[in-house]
Amino acid sequence: MANPAVSLREPLIAGRKTSAQVSRDICAVLDRRPTALWWSAFLLALSTLLLGVAAVGYQISVGIGTWGLNRTVGWAFDITNFVFWVGIGHAGTLISAVLFLLRQPWRTSVNRSAEAMTIFAVICAGLFPVIHMGRPWLAFWMIPYPNWRGPLWINFRSPLVWDFFAILTYFTISLVFWYVGLVPDLATIRDRTAPGLRRRLLSFLSLGWDGSQRTWQRYETVYKLLAGLATPLVISVHTIVSWDFATSLIPGWHTTLLPPYFVAGAIFSGMSMVLTLMIVARKVMRLEDYITRQHIDKMCKVTLATGLMVGFAYVIEFFTALYSGNQYEQFVFVNRALGPFWWSYWIMVGCNVAIPQLFWLRRVRRTVWAVLVISIVINVGMWFERFVIIVTSLHRDFLPAAWSSYAPTWIEIATLAGSFGLFFTCFLLFCRFVPVIAISEVKGVLSVGRQFDEPLPPPAGARPLRAVPAAAGAVAQTEATQ
Amino acid sequence: MAGERTRQAQQRNRRNGSRFPGTASPPAGSSGEHEELAVGRRGFLKAAGFGLMLAGCRQAPLEKAIPFLIPPEEIVPGRSLYYASTCTACPAACGLLAKTRDGRPIKLEGNPAHPLSRGALCALGQASILGLYDKWRPRNPRHQGQDTSWEQIDAQIMERLEGLRRGGGALRLLTGTLNSPALEAVVKRFLAGFPDARRISYDPVSRSAILDAHLQTHGKRVLPRYRFDRAEVILSFDADFLGTWISPVEHTAGYREARSPDVETPRRCYHVQVESRLSLTGSKADRRIVAAPHEHGPLAVQLAAALADLAGESFPGEVQRNEGLAQRVEPLARMLWRARRRSLVVSGSPDPAFQTACNYLNELLGNYGRTLELGPASRQREGDDGALAGLLEELGRGEVGALLVWGVDPVFELPLEGRWETLLEQVPLMISLDDRLTETCGLADYFCPDHHYLESWGDREPVEGVLSLLQPCIEPLGRTRPLIESLSAWMGDSRPAYELLREHWRSALFPRQRQETSFDAFWDRALHDGVAQIEPESRSFSEARFEPRMFGDGSREVSPAEGEFSLVLYPKVGILDGRHADNPWLQELPDPISKATWGNYACLAPLAAEAIGVREGDLIRLGAVAGQGPELELPVLVQPGQHERVVAVALGYGGKATRRFAGIGPRWLEAGETVGNDGRVGVNSAPFIRLQARHLVYSGVPVRLSPTGERRQLARTQLYDAITVPASLALPGGERRPAVKEVTWEELFDPHLPVEPGTHSEHGSSQDLWPDDHPYTGRRWAMTIDLDACTGCSACVIACQVENNIPVVGRDEVRRQREMHWLRIDRYYWGQGENLRVAHQPMPCQHCQNAPCETVCPVLATVHSAEGLNQQVYNRCVGTRYCANNCPYKVRRFNWFDYAHEDELENLVLNPDVTVRSRGVMEKCSFCVQRIQEAKIEAKRRGVELRDGEIQSACQQTCPASAIVFGNINDAGSRVAQLAQSARHYRVLEELNVKPAVAYLKLVSRPDPQEEGHG
Repeated sequence: MANPAVSLREPLIAGRKTSAQVSRDICAVLDRRPTALWWSAFLLALSTLLLGVAAVGYQISVGIGTWGLNRTVGWAFDITNFVFWVGIGHAGTLISAVLFLLRQPWRTSVNRSAEAMTIFAVICAGLFPVIHMGRPWLAFWMIPYPNWRGPLWINFRSPLVWDFFAILTYFTISLVFWYVGLVPDLATIRDRTAPGLRRRLLSFLSLGWDGSQRTWQRYETVYKLLAGLATPLVISVHTIVSWDFATSLIPGWHTTLLPPYFVAGAIFSGMSMVLTLMIVARKVMRLEDYITRQHIDKMCKVTLATGLMVGFAYVIEFFTALYSGNQYEQFVFVNRALGPFWWSYWIMVGCNVAIPQLFWLRRVRRTVWAVLVISIVINVGMWFERFVIIVTSLHRDFLPAAWSSYAPTWIEIATLAGSFGLFFTCFLLFCRFVPVIAISEVKGVLSVGRQFDEPLPPPAGARPLRAVPAAAGAVAQTEATQ
Repeated sequence: MAGERTRQAQQRNRRNGSRFPGTASPPAGSSGEHEELAVGRRGFLKAAGFGLMLAGCRQAPLEKAIPFLIPPEEIVPGRSLYYASTCTACPAACGLLAKTRDGRPIKLEGNPAHPLSRGALCALGQASILGLYDKWRPRNPRHQGQDTSWEQIDAQIMERLEGLRRGGGALRLLTGTLNSPALEAVVKRFLAGFPDARRISYDPVSRSAILDAHLQTHGKRVLPRYRFDRAEVILSFDADFLGTWISPVEHTAGYREARSPDVETPRRCYHVQVESRLSLTGSKADRRIVAAPHEHGPLAVQLAAALADLAGESFPGEVQRNEGLAQRVEPLARMLWRARRRSLVVSGSPDPAFQTACNYLNELLGNYGRTLELGPASRQREGDDGALAGLLEELGRGEVGALLVWGVDPVFELPLEGRWETLLEQVPLMISLDDRLTETCGLADYFCPDHHYLESWGDREPVEGVLSLLQPCIEPLGRTRPLIESLSAWMGDSRPAYELLREHWRSALFPRQRQETSFDAFWDRALHDGVAQIEPESRSFSEARFEPRMFGDGSREVSPAEGEFSLVLYPKVGILDGRHADNPWLQELPDPISKATWGNYACLAPLAAEAIGVREGDLIRLGAVAGQGPELELPVLVQPGQHERVVAVALGYGGKATRRFAGIGPRWLEAGETVGNDGRVGVNSAPFIRLQARHLVYSGVPVRLSPTGERRQLARTQLYDAITVPASLALPGGERRPAVKEVTWEELFDPHLPVEPGTHSEHGSSQDLWPDDHPYTGRRWAMTIDLDACTGCSACVIACQVENNIPVVGRDEVRRQREMHWLRIDRYYWGQGENLRVAHQPMPCQHCQNAPCETVCPVLATVHSAEGLNQQVYNRCVGTRYCANNCPYKVRRFNWFDYAHEDELENLVLNPDVTVRSRGVMEKCSFCVQRIQEAKIEAKRRGVELRDGEIQSACQQTCPASAIVFGNINDAGSRVAQLAQSARHYRVLEELNVKPAVAYLKLVSRPDPQEEGHG
């Protein structure tokens, strides 16, 4: 440790791994039989999902009236959950695309699961616009397709239509991006798998990956292009989601602040969800060497930064309302903080602004349990943010005679729980069947912070593998950026 | 044969596209030819009715369709026929036009030719059509609770009546107000056949004291006809004349006439209301004096004394000088005196002494013959509490051999500590003749059900000389028989009601008219118009005389002791005495003041609620102070504007008939019940009505209130009452919402004040992000609602509900703020105590030109028409509810569930021109687009231009105050375009630039005329 360069940059991957060890460590989970812990988590998630399925089934067969909505509050849990899950999905793209383009090597340990999380979160999110409809079986009417129902077309002025396209685009790009990134790893697993059905399936999914220079080159070109394509989506998706509100005329919704506010909030909540999941996953799957405190520390910093933006937006909202001189606007914000739903507002502020300030302290950022607790708190806070925006704006708008209140029914609560069930079911299956860390990419950053490593003796019983770990190009590229 | 006919009937129906057997029946003829066709139609209907029963049993429906060989006369599928008739929902007898479609009445409209109601109808009248299609309505005569036939029941009754006649027993006919000349004649004949027979009538909400007071002071037991239209100062002691008192529709029209600022010579009538609770009438008053019931008497007497001073007479009653009170009434007395001969004092008190004081005031002011007329007098209430007391005594002594009951339900309405039940059980022969299964019917030996009034021939004489005819609009749905036929049948006269009616008109009424020379012409015209005017019977009145004893000793009303409250029982708009409490529309109609539905509650002043530590929805026990009295448990409603020592409870709830609502509303996991623990809606407060000194007393009973600690949340449609936002959440300048605007009378007519031109707001609309690509070159529909005229009576709400097939959702759904009314009336308060001000703001869809709902709908389910209508396309709607969220007026209604339309009989009331909406779609006011289309098509067919006023929305049509004007705003000559130029014209939330097509006319505040300085 006498060398100053070592103290400048810690190794990204701890434990002085070799490429072979990386493959072994990460694939170990896939080779093991599921543990009792996994089974219990999976069964819990699955039963919560089934609860949600039952709730949604009941709601669709009986009517939206089984939710607590009313003539004044037409959206509540449904769209809150939608925006919440879309927000969660944002960290995936940010980590995988934006950080990739910004050449942040630490992303490699978390990008795979962050992307998976994105996909599952978007699936959860995408359910709500469908099931919140009065007649969900007609949801396909949102699609502009040639039809025989007369000259019926969709309304391109409606933000809900924009939303539909935004979410669909986002989902498609995220899925493709995730899958393309997965191809080299699938090939790695394929090569570790004994011949049989599983191997044949992996062969198919890895698209004939042969690890050649040409394959690597094409792979990287596609990956970079996709990253370029996905980057604007980080901004656009949540901007469009915010337009659902911003283009309306309801005080508290009708504000130009919403797009940046929503984007910051989305990254904030997404990062905290990544933190929650990764902290649990690294412990359970014994990946502490790959997802180190350094990774957690960096993600905490991003969380803190976006959290400050969100906090700033909270303040600016009040300022805008005050400065506008518009009595409806002013009332909505005072009502948020002091009206019947004051508790939801202060949960939001407490969870999203006050508590994340602890991330200023390096000690906190590097204390894993503390980060876990804070990240969960932020998730709660961000759910409440959407609840506050939707419900408190709607329930007391222009005409006092139409003012109303809102309380969720058990069906709605079960639906929210069910969406978590769906998310975790998907995520747990992902952990079982797909390498949670991008093996090939991690191999590319093994050398970071390890220039001054003592050379290790070659591993004794290592079998040579067909898939060459960490192609030369990837290493060179990574090093060139440093 | 019957089976054969049934099949034919069903085939015809199927051919007609109707699901319901019996619906294709033609209405009874609108003129004399009814009789010639009666056999065919009756037979047809009989068969159809039978088919209705069989329809449920039949396995496979017949699929053959046979066309009408002889189509029913006058009936063109899809075209409405209107029959003039008379509403009998209350004794006010307003004129109506029953709109029938394919032989079934589907909507009632006011009859513009009617001199009293002038084309309007109240909520009760609008809703009364549902009673026709009530599946709980008795269909057969019953003996001891068993269905029987008319032949059998007639034979038995006639035998027993014969026995009574020979034995010389007493027969009593107990009725409500029966202002039908033909029926009265038959009743008279019927009673004359018995040695000791009399008719006794009472009104459940008694006005007997007014008649009794006039008997004392003017020598005749008459009810004056009140002419609010002629008044310049109105002083009302607890008379809710715009809501529930005597003839609200007529009074509202007159009241508006007296207060209209929009006519050539604006009329500024000043209205003072003395009351203990906030009534509908009080909400329109220019000045409210909040006084407990026991304070009204002294106030009136002081006022009488003060006026006597001004008139230079000596007050005949006893007055205890009370300086404080005298000072209070002094300005009132001067105001009335200045407006003598043009003022009007009315009272809702059931105390004849109090009414005598009012008579004295009116006499002193010279109002008789001007603002209240004794000849022709009103016949809208005739109940005699004294006679009722006499009947109770007779019953107690076991002297009544036979009791016939029609039109009243004493067991429910006037329990009088359960006396009726015990007394009626002892009556040897009891016959109930009502048209519904009342609680009294349950005690009767024989039940001879009457027709619904829309199935009946009949007449009414609401005001002497004003005859209003009833004609059937549908063949009877059950085997019922009208009272007039039943009574004649028992006299051995089997003529149908139609002939009995015509006979009476020919012999007794025709000679009293001058317009027509032949009876047939007179009859046909009366039938066509629905009304006829004849010479009233001449009456002479003695010179008014007032004696000290008439004024009582003022001790009738006792003031509640410390810790006690004075109970006020009041009839509620729509429910009244509970006669129509079985009507789901009326149950779900929000009370115009409290906005509560489905059940009654204990109204407490805010200070009183605070004092006993309760808030809205807390159950309190309400018990008589003195020992063993009745006891009620009711949820609390905190009512601003009420006297602190008063607890007010609505009458008419808690009847057995409301048990039918046990399953109403959507059923789902968390659904709550509409009925209470006892299976009924609300609690019957009638046990607190006392018969005191031979008069029914409804208020002033001292009661104790004790919180039970339990809660029962009220189902209110408006949760926030004030026009100002909560003080703790308001920034300076943002306290009051500008939804309701006010202008003073002086501002309106002061030539020096700048007239704020209509249609322009402080937020200039010169800059607009919207492209001006919808020029509306042709027609553009618009509506103007006069907030000053609107009394909140809610007739429009029910009219809209009937017209547009709006479902009833039940108490739990209303509690969840999911009522479906397309037209709601926002009621706002501001000010405190006696200065509490109230505004009623009807809020239909505003049909915005820049409609925020339209841009956000993803599937274009809500779009704008070329004539400026904001249209909802139900079958395109996917139900995102975004439109409702984005509606600044929150007028859109969502179908949260599949609302019940399983009651096939009740479905007959549905308007075939309006889609019945399914689950998951949004709906809202359409400006009655079906009426617009109908009128446009008709004008096109006739090749004429559509004239202004030809299209009336349902709400406009029924409005007693004519507060709603609808028309084409692009036509400069239309009324709606003219009103847009009014200085009172404004639009709600104009600053949002949504450009609503609905505009409002500002409320006018009329300062005390005292302050003008010409006093």
